[in-house]
Amino acid sequence: MAHNELILTDVTKRFGGLTAVDSLSMKVETGQIYGVIGPNGAGKTTIFNCITGIYRSEEGSVNWNGEEIRGMTPYQIVDRGIVRTFQTIRLFSQMSVAENVVSGRHIKSSQRWWHGICPTVGSRRDEYDNWMKVKELLEFFNLDEFAATPVSSLPYGHQRRVEMARAMAVDPTLLILDEPAAGLNDKETAELVETIFSIRDKGVTVLLIEHDMELVMKVTDYLTVLNFGKKIAEGTPDEIQKNPLVIEAYLGSEDDDE
Amino acid sequence: MKKLSVAGISIFLMVMAVLPHFLDSRWQAVAITFVIFSVVALSQDIILGKAGMFNMGQAMFFGMGAYATAILNSHYNWPLLATIPVAILVPVCVGILLAAPIVHLRGDYLLVVTIGFNIVFIQVLVNNLGGVTGGPNGIFGLEYLSIFGHELRSQVAVYYLAFAVLLLTLAIMLNLEKSKVGRALHYLREDPLAAESIGINTKLYKIFAFALGAGIAGLAGMVYATQYSAVSPEGFEFIQSVLFFSIVLVGGSSIPGVLLGVFVMFVLPEIFREFSTWRFFVFGFAMILTMILRPRGIWPATFGKIPKYMIKEKSHGA
Ligand SMILES: Nc1ncnc2c1ncn2[C@@H]1O[C@H](COP(=O)(O)OP(=O)(O)O)[C@@H](O)[C@H]1O
Ligand SMILES: [Mg+2]
Repeated sequence: MAHNELILTDVTKRFGGLTAVDSLSMKVETGQIYGVIGPNGAGKTTIFNCITGIYRSEEGSVNWNGEEIRGMTPYQIVDRGIVRTFQTIRLFSQMSVAENVVSGRHIKSSQRWWHGICPTVGSRRDEYDNWMKVKELLEFFNLDEFAATPVSSLPYGHQRRVEMARAMAVDPTLLILDEPAAGLNDKETAELVETIFSIRDKGVTVLLIEHDMELVMKVTDYLTVLNFGKKIAEGTPDEIQKNPLVIEAYLGSEDDDE
Repeated sequence: MKKLSVAGISIFLMVMAVLPHFLDSRWQAVAITFVIFSVVALSQDIILGKAGMFNMGQAMFFGMGAYATAILNSHYNWPLLATIPVAILVPVCVGILLAAPIVHLRGDYLLVVTIGFNIVFIQVLVNNLGGVTGGPNGIFGLEYLSIFGHELRSQVAVYYLAFAVLLLTLAIMLNLEKSKVGRALHYLREDPLAAESIGINTKLYKIFAFALGAGIAGLAGMVYATQYSAVSPEGFEFIQSVLFFSIVLVGGSSIPGVLLGVFVMFVLPEIFREFSTWRFFVFGFAMILTMILRPRGIWPATFGKIPKYMIKEKSHGA
């Protein structure tokens, strides 16, 4: 397979009586910045959890690059190039920024378990390479001065960047971002847009959930709109903005929030 | 700070390296006990401190190593040093077999299961299952250490064996910090879901922590059997596991903290002999006070173990 495509077919996920995702199909193509939007509780995070192996959907298929990944564990899915960030930031809070980011190198590192007991020349070199990669990423995400800073002492916006740097340390093919702009101020959001574009320019496909409509319309190539677990529309940002169903279900409800 | 701890460790090791020559035989015995129990407490630190698993059965792995040595020496005439691989591998294999089905359990459940294992282990010893454990009296009259046919009868030889095991343990622990395996244990302790989502097979590494901790404890058990030329079930009771567990928590799961905990628990009572019956009383209070005043332990483990070349940039800019 030349293409790294993510194809969801009729994915359904239930929690007890609640159908959080209802027979959803979508297709993310290589090189896209793909958006999933919808009101709170629409099932966006649940879809991401189904893709990344945290949940297993009851029905349907999650096909990545020609392979069925539904039912795999999260680390097996990471091994296939799909990495995610969390809506509620999940960093290793007692550790420094650099240690957090190097965790992303785990799966790429050539070290085996016995190197934890007895190092070799090869494992030392691998260790050095991992840290160099981390250094590169810290520079890319403008975090290099915080390498040794405990991550929990950083402001929210920085923590989001650390989480993205950690995900990028895996060298992913598909990066999944769950509300990356939540809690960011305008300046940080503008920086985020630039970051997302430059991640895509590195050849990484980006799938993101976002509440910030302005951001979504600016960065995404293609969108799926959810409401109550069901897809109500898909298309380019322009098409979505004109779709009356979307305006009623999503844009309308957001006005209610405010 | 880093320089300070390097200096601290070097001084500690230098003192330990010459210590037995300044002690009479009673105090040599105390020093050996200190070293052996430090190794067991550090092995518990790998499972509890690093990987965050509430293992309350570490004395069982310690005992397995001790019994492996005693059985092989007394029933099969293996030289003591030749029993070392078995004293490590038996607890490692048992550790893997026992840990595999239970590591996914939440902390409190894991705690209860490992207590159960420890109790069953003691029952096996006491009831002399297989006819090799010697029942409630255990096994005694082991041989002396011997190298190339030379018998090493002095306690000093046992001390240096124990010290070598401590050095090995410290080397493994320091090396773990600089490896992906060791970091994986920290990650899964802090947030198992985030660790899985970044590509870490948390179950595998939990089992690894158990196996490594069990193997080191087993090696300490071999030295213990050598020191007393004997083993008996009460040395490996559940209450011993509780002590090792508490030492790690009270110490703060750092190397100096754990060593300090072992010192307070096992050496201080010898210094203040008249108080020795009070040691649980004192230690109990120390535990209560530490956990209230310093919930992360007397000497909390610090993170931020990143290579120097990662932080050069900062001092440059500052
Ligand atoms: N682990 C869970 N158990 C039960 N219900 C859940 C769980 N996760 C999500 N839900 C429910 O599924 C629905 C979709 O949630 P979610 O995917 O988080 O929405 P979104 O991310 O679009 O805001 C919500 O009604 C939520 O309460
Ligand atoms: Mg969500």
